[in-house]
Amino acid sequence: MITAENLTKVYGQRTALDKVSFEVPEGEIFGFVGPNGAGKTTTLRILAALLEPTAGRASIDGADVTKQPLQVHSRIGYMPDFFGVYDQLTVAEYLDFYAACYRLPKQRRVKIAHDLLDLVGLSERRDQQVDTLSRGLKQRLCLARALVHDPVVLLLDEPASGLDPRARVEMREILRELRRMGKTIVISSHILPELTELCTMIGIIDHGRMRATGPVHEVIRQLSADRRVRITIVGDQGRAVAILEPLAAVRRVETADGAIEATYEGDDSTAAEILHALTAEGIRVSAFSQVDGGLEEAFMRATSEEVG
Amino acid sequence: MSRVAAAFWNPIVAKEYRSRMRTWRSPLAMMVYVVLIAGLGYAMFSSMARSNSGFAGSVPNYGLTLFKYLVVFQMVLITLVTPALTAGAISSERERQTIDLLFVTRIPPFSIIWGKLLASMSFVVLLLLLSVPIFSLVFLFGGIELDQVLYSFLVTIVAALALGLIGIAFSTWLRRTLAATVASYMAAFLLVFGTVAFGMIFPTKIDPKSTSAPAPPAVTYLSPIVPLVAIADNGQPLVPYLIRYDYPNGIVAIQTGGSVCKPLGNGAVACASSSGSVYSAVAATGTAIPSGPFAKWQYWQATVFLQLAIGLFALLVSAFLLPPVRRWPRWRQRPAAMTP
Repeated sequence: MITAENLTKVYGQRTALDKVSFEVPEGEIFGFVGPNGAGKTTTLRILAALLEPTAGRASIDGADVTKQPLQVHSRIGYMPDFFGVYDQLTVAEYLDFYAACYRLPKQRRVKIAHDLLDLVGLSERRDQQVDTLSRGLKQRLCLARALVHDPVVLLLDEPASGLDPRARVEMREILRELRRMGKTIVISSHILPELTELCTMIGIIDHGRMRATGPVHEVIRQLSADRRVRITIVGDQGRAVAILEPLAAVRRVETADGAIEATYEGDDSTAAEILHALTAEGIRVSAFSQVDGGLEEAFMRATSEEVG
Repeated sequence: MSRVAAAFWNPIVAKEYRSRMRTWRSPLAMMVYVVLIAGLGYAMFSSMARSNSGFAGSVPNYGLTLFKYLVVFQMVLITLVTPALTAGAISSERERQTIDLLFVTRIPPFSIIWGKLLASMSFVVLLLLLSVPIFSLVFLFGGIELDQVLYSFLVTIVAALALGLIGIAFSTWLRRTLAATVASYMAAFLLVFGTVAFGMIFPTKIDPKSTSAPAPPAVTYLSPIVPLVAIADNGQPLVPYLIRYDYPNGIVAIQTGGSVCKPLGNGAVACASSSGSVYSAVAATGTAIPSGPFAKWQYWQATVFLQLAIGLFALLVSAFLLPPVRRWPRWRQRPAAMTP
């Protein structure tokens, strides 16, 4: 549905994007993660045919972003990270204006505005002036605006930024609903937890380079070669540490909060061997659990690497 | 909606109308405009009525004189209003971060320019319509032909269109509303007043040997003021100002009464009255431009032509600069009707 091949964008001396490639199949939610300034917005703007890449190609549902911008525009719903609203317009007029910009006939515009305001929960505010809406409500209105022409792809740049926790949850619910409606969604964020539950795929970008891309669990595995177990024992910790440290698979042993954390290289069977080594020596293990660094850790690992 | 209607009427026009007319600024601007025009008209009228020997005393036609000052004053007001209407057209969308939201719709960039232009020009036309009742009072004096009125308004509207397009071009190019406004006003003043000032500083010198009547410097036709005065003066515009005679050393002037006369090459005589106004013996006949690159054209035709050329250039500049992904000429791709 969405393909990007070697997208490169150079601003003067600065390379904002360096050969970014990824692919998002239909119906997936692609989480685009990276610290501020990593190139997320640049990539999304190129995909939205709002910015010309210096090199590389991208297409949305078969339409090339540089050669067929109008076709791309009719396929995507775009929500920028920063946007303004016109003053002197009501919520309903605002949506009607954009629906008209998509050349929808008058009768359909009325129905669409009604349905979309219902979807994003702004029905009761249809006659309120848009510039008096709170930030969260403006974000929702902007999302509704991105949906007026029923696009197959949604490009959402930091849709949850600046929202309070409640508005964040509501935004997530709306996105879930959109996924059920079969939309392919690309959503960018610099905050990971809001993507982990929502996304089916993930791409980690840093300093304009794609560090990892693919299904969520794959990316995590790809990035976290080192794993950790947290061990709680009854008795002398020193003895346990002395047993753990010589093991070949174990890289590092730390004690914290009355528990031992061992970083090791390997998979689940390696973890079982570590546990066996302890119990075989008579250590009384009361708890033994994998520490799931998850996305956050994978992300930190990926983005902390120096750019070569 | 037919394709033609859709091209003329796009959602941006409707939105601009809405937001413009919902502020207090628009009615205020309209009121100030009418008060200024009516005020000038009344001041002119009362000064003419009171004095029979003043500047209006020698003028046989009150109506036409009043008309001349009103159309020129109206043009001055339009010059002050139009850049303010268009200089923020694109840059304010950029500053408010709404332009991307327009770009991602099916509205081609050219239609954005067109919509903004149509919306601001409608307001100018509205102002011109508001002045019609005041002009109709002037018509009570008589002496004004219908074609003089029509040509004057045509010149005014075309000049407003050119000023509007210049404003939009700067708005697209400079990206900041403040810079675009300053640049648009500078361009507007240069076009409307600067060209006339240039003509006054470097007027056409009357050539005694010339066999054709002198015309004002061609650059002054850029200013709508010149044709407006020419229309009201029946084609003898601004003679002591834009057409002048330099007295060369060594030529003895022939004194006849209070005037200084010079022999002309074709045997005719150019005379200057004691009050300083110069007229050529090969005087222009009719209302057309007597010589120069626009010879035989009417003054208003030359101005309308030049203004449209400037406007077209400004439009092309805007259309080239606006699209975010420049696939020239992108605005030609008209999307097919949306199917559900």
